[in-house]
Amino acid sequence: MISCLLIQISRNPQGLPVRKESTVTGESIQIGRSAPCKIHLLDHRVNLLHATIRRSEDGKLYVEGEKDATITINGFIEQSTALSPGTHIEIGPYLLVVEPAQDGHDIGLSVEMTQPLPEQDTAKTGWAAPVTLAGLGLSKRKLGFGLAVCVLFIFLLLPMLPNASSTFDKWQSALPVTLTESWSPGPLSGGHSVLGSKCSTCHQRAFRPVSDDACVGCHKQVAKHLAKEDLHASAFKNMRCTSCHQDHGGEAGLVLHDSSICVTCHGAIKKKNAGTVLADAHDFGTDHPSFHITLLDGKKAIRIRQDEKEKLVEKSGLKYSHQVHLNKKGISTPQGDTIMVCKDCHKIDEAGTHFAPMTMKETCQQSRCHKLYFALPVDGVVPHGSEREAMGRVREYYAKWLADSPGQNMVACKHAGGAGSSAKRTLECANDLSKKFAAETLFRKSGEDLECGVCHEIEPTGDSDVPWKVAPLQINRDWQPGAVFPHSRHGAINCTECHDKMNSKTSSEIAMPDIKKCRECHVGDHSAKGKIRSTCDSCHRFHQGAKKASNSNSR
Amino acid sequence: MDMMQHATLLKYNNYRYLKASSLLMAIAVAAYISVDAASEHSFGGTRLGYALGIVSTLIMFLLMWYGIAKRRTPRVPDRRQHQECAGNKHNNGDTQAVFSAQQKVERRRCPVKKSWRYGGTLQGWLSAHVYLGILLIVLASLHAGFQFGWNVHTLSYVLMLLVIASGFYGMYAYLNYPRQITQNMASDTLGDLLLKIAELDELARIRALGLPDDVNTLVLKARRETRLGGSLFQQLIGCQRDCPTALAVQQVQELGKKYINDEQPKLMRDLYSVLLHKQKLVLRARNEIMLKARLGGWLYLHVPLSIALLAALIAHIVAIFFYW
Repeated sequence: MISCLLIQISRNPQGLPVRKESTVTGESIQIGRSAPCKIHLLDHRVNLLHATIRRSEDGKLYVEGEKDATITINGFIEQSTALSPGTHIEIGPYLLVVEPAQDGHDIGLSVEMTQPLPEQDTAKTGWAAPVTLAGLGLSKRKLGFGLAVCVLFIFLLLPMLPNASSTFDKWQSALPVTLTESWSPGPLSGGHSVLGSKCSTCHQRAFRPVSDDACVGCHKQVAKHLAKEDLHASAFKNMRCTSCHQDHGGEAGLVLHDSSICVTCHGAIKKKNAGTVLADAHDFGTDHPSFHITLLDGKKAIRIRQDEKEKLVEKSGLKYSHQVHLNKKGISTPQGDTIMVCKDCHKIDEAGTHFAPMTMKETCQQSRCHKLYFALPVDGVVPHGSEREAMGRVREYYAKWLADSPGQNMVACKHAGGAGSSAKRTLECANDLSKKFAAETLFRKSGEDLECGVCHEIEPTGDSDVPWKVAPLQINRDWQPGAVFPHSRHGAINCTECHDKMNSKTSSEIAMPDIKKCRECHVGDHSAKGKIRSTCDSCHRFHQGAKKASNSNSR
Repeated sequence: MDMMQHATLLKYNNYRYLKASSLLMAIAVAAYISVDAASEHSFGGTRLGYALGIVSTLIMFLLMWYGIAKRRTPRVPDRRQHQECAGNKHNNGDTQAVFSAQQKVERRRCPVKKSWRYGGTLQGWLSAHVYLGILLIVLASLHAGFQFGWNVHTLSYVLMLLVIASGFYGMYAYLNYPRQITQNMASDTLGDLLLKIAELDELARIRALGLPDDVNTLVLKARRETRLGGSLFQQLIGCQRDCPTALAVQQVQELGKKYINDEQPKLMRDLYSVLLHKQKLVLRARNEIMLKARLGGWLYLHVPLSIALLAALIAHIVAIFFYW
């Protein structure tokens, strides 16, 4: 039989312990949640039967935990232990402390609930976890202002800093991700990409537009649009380089292909410059003046409207028939009959816009045509070039011919029996014969092949040594110097689609296509189905200035 | 929000703001098409670009002003206003009951004054807010010329799209969730439900005290680990994986069969009934928390992103003119 003094401790509102004593007896004393237990601990954290106090064979009392029940003895989880005063036993939320035996009891045991249910507290105040968004303690404004501060720091303050110090700017421009990069609206175009993130190269002053000086500082060679300084200054007083050249477009390029800027002046050009010869233009497709052809009149370039046909006569000094050379059945050459095509003579230059100058040696004599042989009475080749050289060569041939067989050949000469030395007479004879030969064959105005007059205009000079002169050639290489026409980009169509030369018998005929021909493929600013959109700068260059017609003097 | 309110928001004043927005949109698109055809560079740096940028910025400020106007517009006309309207008929001697009944009548007679002090009615503001927000997508896209990159300019655009996208969700939420909330809660409030759940927990605890330990453990776990609310994500999800209450209901039912011959079958049935009731209340409470979170949660994106957008907009504008 065990007699236990049970002391139940509770706390008054001041937190002071209140002891209530009772006695429990039995062969063993059960501790648990169920009603039969002598020490009844009514909490669901205690098992129905949690532990039992028993007396051992040697008479000592010990407590033993039931199966699956956990008891903690003096801070350590144990299954059983002997009970001695001061022993702390924790069962669920209760703390049992062994006290010295008193008043005939075998043992004293104080019981106190030390861990009340947390739910019992929260039930009074509300649910433990937040059940509303407001309960989370998040602040929309704080979050927003936090984000705003980050944005302003990274995207406003940092990009501004390089502008304050050139040293800092240089340092930051070498960083893998530069501070100013976030301000760049797009990649720089072409050559400007070498500037990298050093914005101050162009943007020299904060809150000021990019100045023309910044552009001209590097682009020193760029020509102005108008040659006259005062006219240029008045026409472009409200414009800057960046009006037409806007960077940060990447591969789209730097040039603004917007005809409206050009049309602001060229739409009513007389208002800007009353003395101009230019006509108004608004759009290539709908309102563009007829083309002008630039011709050479002596050394002077003249512009003729293309619809003034009677004035369109080229004075190149060359007699040339495209009809003969482009004969579809072929033309007789030392290699036999050959069908010639345009590019046999007209070869596009490296720029792709014009054709390389034609020369007698590389264009006309290349296939052994036009070699300028002569055979009567001596064999030889006349050099193509100056008249003096040609005469000298003929004279040399005759001198040699006379020297080789003086007895036989000198007969042809009136100096055969004259006074003076033999050499002198031979030279005089050669001189006479060469002039005679040249007058009858080389410098004859018309006649058979191999004569200069076939291709050239010939005039007498009165000079006894070189009695004839070939008129100099002025072959036009740029009919429209104010425009750019890339032949290389029109290679898909035949030359004769635009240049009607198949039946041209003389070189004075001009076969430049008119604007109607261009408009078969090209439209103006506004795209159209099956047509090519063409703005002003498709053909015209703003910075080219006044261009002169160029020519090649082919000999 | 029922269909009538739905109609009021979007059809406000015979679609006034839909018409205004559509007109502006048509003008902007037409201008863009006519100008863009002749220009490859369509950044905001063109004249049209500047114009679109200025209009977009003004609209953006107007949309943000809604946040202020919402607070400044009185939801219920104050007493003083009605007293003035009613010609000082009600003096201090009137009882509150008489005042309330009379107030309703007067409220119908004297609608909320549309003064510029408040900037119009709240519904008008909201209707304009929605339609101008949609318009802003078009205007800002045209302003950008559909050119985007990794920079502060596109950041502003993206933030704007995020704000508008969250606004779209908000409109969806306001048009749908209030009805679901009403259906879910009937006349209860969340506080009522939580109290009832706490009471049922306590009841279950007491019921389980005399029952076997495995049952007791289940009840204890259901009480301790059943979660309502929680973090933002948990509130938005509105459910708990392996909910201990649902588990307890299921297992108590099975354990009831096991202890059918026990001495306390009635206690088990009672406990099962209590837990089942709790489970229903928990589901309703979770649904309420989820719907409320979804109804209001988008504002935790909409408002902070709006403020961040304002900052990005300032950076965008300063950047443009700093490096002109």
